[in-house]
Amino acid sequence: MSQVIQITSTSTSTVQYSNGYEQDEYMMQEEEWDRDLLLDPAWEKQQRKTFTAWCNSHLRKAGTQIENIEEDFRNGLKLMLLLEVISGERLPKPDRGKMRFHKIANVNKALDFITSKGVKLVSIGAEEIVDGNVKMTLGMIWTIILRFAIQDISVEETSAKEGLLLWCQRKTAPYRNVNVQNFHVSWKDGLAFSALIHRHRPDLLDFHSLKDDPLGNLNLALEIAEKHLDIPKMLDAEDIVNTPKPDERAIMTYVSCFYHAFAGAEQAETAANRICKVLGVNQENEKLMEEYEKLASELLEWIRRTTPWLENRTPEKTMAAMQAKLEDFRDYRRLHKPPKVQEKCQLEINFNTLQTKLRISNRPAFMPSEGKMVSDIASAWQGLEQAEKGYEEWLLNEIRRLERLDHLAEKFRQKAITHETWAQGKEQILSQKDYESATLTEVRALLRKHEAFESDLAAHQDRVEQIAAIAQELNELDYHAVAAVNERCQKICDLWDQLGTLTQKRREALERTEKLLETIDQLFLEFAKRAAPFNNWMEGAMEDLQDMFIVHSIEEIQNLISAHEQFKSTLPEADGERQAILGIHSEVQKISQSYGLKTSLSNPYSTISPEEVLAKWDKVKQLVPQRDSSLQEELARQHANERLRRQFASQANLIGPWIQTRMEEIGRSAVEMNGTLEDQMTQLKQYEHVIVNYKPNIDHLEGDHQLIQESLIFDNKHTNYTMEHIRVGWELLLTTIARTINEIETQILTRDAKGISQEQMNEFRSSFNHFDRKKKGGMETDEFRACLISMGYDLGEVEFARIMSLVDPNGTGVVSFQSFIDFMTRETGDSDTAEQVVASFRILAGDKPYILAEELRRELPVDQAEYCISRMPAYRGPGAVPGALDYTSFSTALYGESDL
Amino acid sequence: MASAEQLAPFQHIEVQLRGGAPWGFTLKGGLEHGEPLVITKIEEGGKAAQSRKLRVGDELVNISGSTVYGSRQEALVLIKGSYRTLNMVVRR
Repeated sequence: MSQVIQITSTSTSTVQYSNGYEQDEYMMQEEEWDRDLLLDPAWEKQQRKTFTAWCNSHLRKAGTQIENIEEDFRNGLKLMLLLEVISGERLPKPDRGKMRFHKIANVNKALDFITSKGVKLVSIGAEEIVDGNVKMTLGMIWTIILRFAIQDISVEETSAKEGLLLWCQRKTAPYRNVNVQNFHVSWKDGLAFSALIHRHRPDLLDFHSLKDDPLGNLNLALEIAEKHLDIPKMLDAEDIVNTPKPDERAIMTYVSCFYHAFAGAEQAETAANRICKVLGVNQENEKLMEEYEKLASELLEWIRRTTPWLENRTPEKTMAAMQAKLEDFRDYRRLHKPPKVQEKCQLEINFNTLQTKLRISNRPAFMPSEGKMVSDIASAWQGLEQAEKGYEEWLLNEIRRLERLDHLAEKFRQKAITHETWAQGKEQILSQKDYESATLTEVRALLRKHEAFESDLAAHQDRVEQIAAIAQELNELDYHAVAAVNERCQKICDLWDQLGTLTQKRREALERTEKLLETIDQLFLEFAKRAAPFNNWMEGAMEDLQDMFIVHSIEEIQNLISAHEQFKSTLPEADGERQAILGIHSEVQKISQSYGLKTSLSNPYSTISPEEVLAKWDKVKQLVPQRDSSLQEELARQHANERLRRQFASQANLIGPWIQTRMEEIGRSAVEMNGTLEDQMTQLKQYEHVIVNYKPNIDHLEGDHQLIQESLIFDNKHTNYTMEHIRVGWELLLTTIARTINEIETQILTRDAKGISQEQMNEFRSSFNHFDRKKKGGMETDEFRACLISMGYDLGEVEFARIMSLVDPNGTGVVSFQSFIDFMTRETGDSDTAEQVVASFRILAGDKPYILAEELRRELPVDQAEYCISRMPAYRGPGAVPGALDYTSFSTALYGESDL
Repeated sequence: MASAEQLAPFQHIEVQLRGGAPWGFTLKGGLEHGEPLVITKIEEGGKAAQSRKLRVGDELVNISGSTVYGSRQEALVLIKGSYRTLNMVVRR
């Protein structure tokens, strides 16, 4: 091996360091060695002192020293020893021999060792060492120092030389007058050393009292270092002061001792600290472990305590209690658990921290004691949480359940009350026997009510079922007061069944009663339907049987008799009907009795009572024979009447025609113009005589007629002649004969008065007869007109009317022969007109316009005179005297004329 | 030829005569005689004639507002009862 020792030369004038010491790399070091084999003698001197002192400081631990650095290491033994001491390691056994090669071998062992520590020894050979080459040896020692004292220095990531420098700078930083820039001149004033000492051991020197006395300072520092720091004096103070640039290596070496001393102290401190730390850590760890254990115990204890509480599933009875439990649980969750969660967390953290710490500090992992392991805690915690969850669920369920139970219980109670209220009294109502004395309509009404009740009942069925369902649910849900509920429910159900039964019974009873009443009603109706017509029939019969009859013929009475017989034949049937009707009534009685109906049995359809029927029937029965007898009586009477009729008839039939004949005779006589009027008269008189003599017949007939009338016979079919006829005929006959006679008389008078001859009369007669077409004895208007025309009268309507009014003043429409003659004779003959009468009176009055009463009396028959006097109005004309009578107006008035 | 009665219905004529009695006409007939109450004469120059409304043969039916039922006495009374004016209704 070769090593390169670089020797640098420095100029004393300028403090320039162009050596590679700043770099302080091994490679640099090689260069250093390579340069020059020259070593500055000052430096050599310093190095020798310093290195020797350094080696001795180590060798003394092995109990040896060196005095001469180039000599004492020549055999390599102390070298090896030195290495052993400073490394703390064993080197291979040195060769015990004195031979050169033994020495070389030993030195090689040492060098190998050094190399094994990573030092590249360049140009340092064992032989030079064995040969005692100072430079080599110093270089080798420097290498060793560098390697073992300086290389491992690490300060703030700076190592070796820089590190050492940095350390010096750091440590001396507080000291304003110390400025360490290098390992040579910075140390000359000794303040740096002092600072270093003061920094670490202010008790050893009072830095601030140091003066500017490099030598003194240095010596002081050296002294103190040797005495108190166990650092031998490796430097010579005078040398340092006097040398412009002290040897860097020597300084470095000495400073490194300080480093090691302090750093060592520091290290020791650090070590102590570390130990303290470690111990502290240990203690801490142990404390943590204890704490963990404690916490774990507590936690587990708490869990152990709490879990059963959470697992307790004893239900409470009331909502309140459960809610209290819930509250507790909430408290647990809110107040009690979180800290425990925290604790657990903390426990975990602690555990982890502990483990980490232990791991970091290379301790074995923490193994908690049995049952307190993390897994135990975790599982316990899990158990807790599960219990908790389960508990919460259970709590809520329970509360829900209790709520539901409360709700159900309340619902049950309400429904039960409602139902019980409704059911109150229903039993009594249903057990009523009110239908026993009700009428049909009432029973029907009861039935309707019952129907309504039944539907009400049906509606309530639901409710009862609901109540039972609720009770059931309460049972299922294990309600605490379920016994009372069940009891009540049972009562309700029993009552319900009871009501059902009663309802049914009542319905049956009502229906049955209804049926019966309906039957009875039907019977009543039947009764009414039959009784009414029967009653009418009976009443009719009674009426008929009592009927006052008026019959006028045998036929009629016989009809009545046969009708009566017919009626009698219907009696048996009627009797049957009567029995049937009465039978209906007794039927009703029977039914009513047998079924115990208490209703009043009055027939709503009929006012006819059976008693009435019976009574009327008896009456009818009574009346029948009565009628028989009266009819028979009547029959007899009718027969008698008939006899009377016949009698009358036979008479009348004789008389009637007789009268007729006479009438015709008379008529003929009047019409025919046989003989003179006198002859006619005589004949008529004869007729008259005959007629008069016939009167007794009429009287006799009248007598018969009276009988007939008394017998109230109003008709007679045996004759067409009624008494009236006969009477009228007779009257007419009498009148006619009288009139005819009168007519003849009149005609005679007229003839005489008017001087109409018989021929004229006959002419008038024949004209009249001719125009009396209908031969009535009087002309009608047309006939008269025709007659006039035939006589040559050419008449206008007015004139004819006038004539008509004269001839037929009464407007009968018939012109009688007399009027005709009057008219004819008036026109042809003289007539007394009013003027003529007036004239006549004038004569009597002696030409006065008035006449006096005495004159009248004188000239006229008494009664006519009196007539005139009484009738004549007083004359008021000119020349009137008292008692003057106006004969003019009287006369005109006589003639039916009044002059106005 | 139809009967007079069946011919044209009666004409009723109202007449008013003024001046007082005598009126200058003659009444004849009447219920008492069984004849209609008719005017049989109208005096020439008399008030009735002057009226030129009355004719012979007119039947008197109404006098001074009173219906006459054919009684002559009644008619006389009514006529004489009128003073200065005589209202009549006749028919023909």
